[in-house]
Amino acid sequence: MKNYKILLFIILLFSVFSIVQLFSASDKKADEILKKADENLMPSSFETYRKLINEEPDGSKKEYIFYSIKKDRDKVAMLYISPASEKGRSALRLGDNMWLYIPNVGRPIRITSLQSSVGGIFSNSDIMRLDYSEEYNASILEQNDEEYVLDLKAKTSYVAYDKLKMWIKKKSIIVTKVECYAASGTLIKTLEFKEVKDFGNGIVRPAVIETTSPLYKGYRSIMIFSGIELREFPDEVFTLDFMPRLCELR
Amino acid sequence: MRCYILLVLFVFFVPVSAQEYEFEIPEEEESRIEFNGNLDVKWAILNTRESSPFYEIQFYQTTDNSSYLSRYRLDHYFNAEYRRKKVDFVMKTFSQYKKDEPISLSFHELYGSLNLSPKLTFGIGKKRFIWGKGYAFNPAGYVNTEKDPENPELALSGKSSTFFMFNKSINSNFLKNFSFSSIILPPEAIINEKFAPLEDTEIALKTYFLIKNTDIDFMFFYGKNQLRRYGFDFSTNLKENFEIHGEWSYAQNEGKFIIQKNLPWLQKIDGSSFIFGIRYLNRFNMTVIAEYYHNNRGLSKEEFNDYYDYIETTIKSNSFNIISQVKQDVSRRFISKTLMKDYLYIIVRQPEPFGWLYSSFSIFTIYNLSDNSFILSPRFGYEPFTNFEFLLWPALTLGESNSEYGSRQFQKKVEFWMRFYF
Repeated sequence: MKNYKILLFIILLFSVFSIVQLFSASDKKADEILKKADENLMPSSFETYRKLINEEPDGSKKEYIFYSIKKDRDKVAMLYISPASEKGRSALRLGDNMWLYIPNVGRPIRITSLQSSVGGIFSNSDIMRLDYSEEYNASILEQNDEEYVLDLKAKTSYVAYDKLKMWIKKKSIIVTKVECYAASGTLIKTLEFKEVKDFGNGIVRPAVIETTSPLYKGYRSIMIFSGIELREFPDEVFTLDFMPRLCELR
Repeated sequence: MRCYILLVLFVFFVPVSAQEYEFEIPEEEESRIEFNGNLDVKWAILNTRESSPFYEIQFYQTTDNSSYLSRYRLDHYFNAEYRRKKVDFVMKTFSQYKKDEPISLSFHELYGSLNLSPKLTFGIGKKRFIWGKGYAFNPAGYVNTEKDPENPELALSGKSSTFFMFNKSINSNFLKNFSFSSIILPPEAIINEKFAPLEDTEIALKTYFLIKNTDIDFMFFYGKNQLRRYGFDFSTNLKENFEIHGEWSYAQNEGKFIIQKNLPWLQKIDGSSFIFGIRYLNRFNMTVIAEYYHNNRGLSKEEFNDYYDYIETTIKSNSFNIISQVKQDVSRRFISKTLMKDYLYIIVRQPEPFGWLYSSFSIFTIYNLSDNSFILSPRFGYEPFTNFEFLLWPALTLGESNSEYGSRQFQKKVEFWMRFYF
């Protein structure tokens, strides 16, 4: 009887261990898919021009053009090129840290990832996005022949959205849709990745990201990428001192 | 027929959709000159406080006195920058038009810099530096032109200097960036308006560290008359929507004017000034910035009372010469925007309140904790078109008659701004 109990305990232990292994293997696979999706969205070091359009419920639009650079997984900087009222502003992101430089203010000030420096639905973290795998742990929520649906949980409390639900094409490992949720489970916004385009140098990715939010009914924000070029930068261009000098890189 | 309809739909809709996602990238040349700026048209209506001695000294023997005054002016900012390879030349001008008479043009900035690499910059000329992390106050801003806390984002003039900056990023999880700035400030020409004593040259040094997720600066300043200042500041995000910041400065041999025996008197003092502040964003996209400021050079309640009595006594003398002299003294010696010791600053900002497109609303108060007087000022902004905005900006100053804000020359004002960017 005693031997029987020991055997039962060993079987139970082995089953629990196997289930844990199975889940961690699944998480590992999800993290790998996420990393690949990140690589397909953004090369490790590049420069690009982006246009951001904020559409209001009355149909009117506000447009901005940015010059943006990125290096590694956690360094992003961008320069406002137009309109004239915003020209010369620059923004910097180093991991969880974000700053905005306004020429009239004369020094960089810390900003938060949830804020929006340009109005509309895109937050600062959307505009200056790091690799998703830098900020989130992934697990596979569901999958079919066409796509994976990943469940992404924020690694730290500094991340703008606590949870993401991400749709990825199985064949190309390209992100097609992301839903952003608050800790309460409320849907904050939906990002749709459209117009897959060959930018050259092996970069094939959606050229347009469109976002809508149930919190801003009737509003729509669109980000359009143009001319993504691979380029190496010294680390010092991603510093507070260099923010007023970002225009030198163009 | 079906194919024809599809073809028509394709011809009409596909090009429109493709066009929506295309834009032209502004071209960049190797060397270039660039201009920009803005014109601010400002019209103000001011309700005077005729019972205040500060009003009386300002408007002494003015015949057209009225309880309500109007002020109209045009502020013109014109900036030019020439850049070629590593050389950068910057000119920022400011001119103000009040009436048809020759306009004086002033340079807010006029400097050349040699940007040897992203790590190294050397420059000379008149440049604006902003040290410190405070939004409304910067006790450790040793090279700053003093901000007006009532409008901290106003473009201000720089200082003549020679500067050198070194910047280094570090691949580490602890110290991520380090920079060093050294600024030499030549003295103002006081001898025949051309020369200055060499020993009045001032030096300012700053080191910056990004340690984990915290910005930290250490500053040092050596000024004329053996003035020494040591300071530090910090800023960090505690959460994704909550930031804290602070500045501390210790000064030796700092000059402070007080009134003693009914005369302005320069005291030399040692001591600390500091601020502590927060910036918070709530889920309604409302931002709150709050700062507490202790100003060691500021006047205590008793010292402010002496100053108030001094102005009142001057007015009572009814002597044109004495009043003119005191008016001149006051404008040089009691000019600070933060005249007293302890202040609380709070601003609340809400973009597009009640869903009103292109509008913004903010309200701020500067509360003088030493005498319980304060200024309260809401501000409405509206940007119906790109590069054009309206601002409506009322302000109220409240407090006892012998308090700082309660004795301001103007008890109420409404400013209306139109701003054009180019």
